[in-house]
Amino acid sequence: MSLVLEGFLNTVALTLLSFAGALLVGLLVAVLRVVPVPLLRGVGAVYVEVWRNIPLLAWLVLFVFGLPEVGVKMPLFWTAFTAIALYEAAFVAEALRSGVNSVASGQGEAARALGLSFRQSLRHVILPQASKRVVQPLANIAIALTMATALAGVVGVVDMTRAAQRINLELAQPLLVFTGVGLCYLVMAAGIGFGARVLERRLA
Amino acid sequence: MGRLFVAAVLLFVAGCAGGEGAVPGGSKIDALLAKAPVYAGQVTPGSAVDRIKKRGELIIGGSQDAPLLSQLDPISGELTGFDAYLGKLLAQYIVGKPSTELLSATSETREPLLANGTVDVIIQTYTITPQRAERVAFAGPYYQSGQSIAVRKGTSGIGKPADLAGRTVIVGANTPGVKAVQDAAPTAKILEFGSDPECLTALKQGRGEAYVQDQAILVADASKDSELQLVGEPFTEDPYGIGIKHGDAEFTKFVNDWLREIGKSGLWQEVWKQTIGTVVTGDAPAPPAIAS
Repeated sequence: MSLVLEGFLNTVALTLLSFAGALLVGLLVAVLRVVPVPLLRGVGAVYVEVWRNIPLLAWLVLFVFGLPEVGVKMPLFWTAFTAIALYEAAFVAEALRSGVNSVASGQGEAARALGLSFRQSLRHVILPQASKRVVQPLANIAIALTMATALAGVVGVVDMTRAAQRINLELAQPLLVFTGVGLCYLVMAAGIGFGARVLERRLA
Repeated sequence: MGRLFVAAVLLFVAGCAGGEGAVPGGSKIDALLAKAPVYAGQVTPGSAVDRIKKRGELIIGGSQDAPLLSQLDPISGELTGFDAYLGKLLAQYIVGKPSTELLSATSETREPLLANGTVDVIIQTYTITPQRAERVAFAGPYYQSGQSIAVRKGTSGIGKPADLAGRTVIVGANTPGVKAVQDAAPTAKILEFGSDPECLTALKQGRGEAYVQDQAILVADASKDSELQLVGEPFTEDPYGIGIKHGDAEFTKFVNDWLREIGKSGLWQEVWKQTIGTVVTGDAPAPPAIAS
């Protein structure tokens, strides 16, 4: 029973922490991608293309087994957190960028005409309008991230899926065990979807 | 970033090179097949044997990545190892030719694959346990294995299974090692990785203090890696059985008769010598007594 709880808590913690990390890094990358400085825009584009075009499982294996080879050894949970957060940040950045781009260009021009700086126009004119439009795309990413945490089980983290496999090894009842685990993921994902609807209504 | 990639590539290459050395060539099966028996008795219409004969192929649930047991040789495309060869010999016995199809099974899919008839048999280091025997029928045991402990050379304080208490122990995901460690040292922290090379790398990088795995696999690892040291003798007895659809007593008896026959004729020992015997020194052990 304690194994089930450990797995569930690890999955929840990994989901919440990784998504928080992904939001932070993703916001930074999204800003890089829309600033009027070509070099910074290039840096943002390279980040997105490198991170999202390599499978998460490959990143996890590289981080867990590759980093110690160059002298960086973190606990497995934090290694998995770092890899998942940096990977999902690329998707978050693109969702945020498309949100910003969805604001009519006239809005930005009007802000500049009023004498607002780039930062001011982003903060007071663009982002308030963009934020409502990115809620659903971000919820999609959060749900995908929840499911992706199961990959951490492959590199030694005892998440919900790994715990289920360990239990099934003894019980030999895969249909029962994995239906139960599936329901847990369903509840988590439904919670994210519900939260997104509430948030969207608030921002409207 | 560059160094990271180099490290990862080296890791991958090391893993590949390691696996190849442990696997005997694909042609060994031909010598075994020449001595293999073919069933000549009565076949009940509609039975499992009848179905397999008519299909002309034995469908096996197993692995492609278990060194010495069931590993796909990337060069010849042949499946090699103890479990793999037994599968070929069983197909020869039923169909008259060694035609098998391997479906990759995992510990989550084995029981359903048998129950819904997707595979005829599971030959995959499938330890016979009372819980499993309630959902599947087991022929055999066909092999008696045991879990052993390996450590980095120079590690002190680990001399017996009880010494694992309170330590971090690496085990192969979904292997009998998980339960073996839980039973021998309940306070040990278990760390699972998917494959043997990953477990070895994790041990060497200090993710855990010991690595518990099937003795044959550890012996093979230690023969290639001077950093690795085995501690004591195997501390568990894992009887591997051939998984069969639950309730099919006729087919279970059929496979048991075949196991007895190849045990008596010495073919079982030949298979052992060609596979596990290439890394474990000494003569082939006696095949385990068939339960019923």
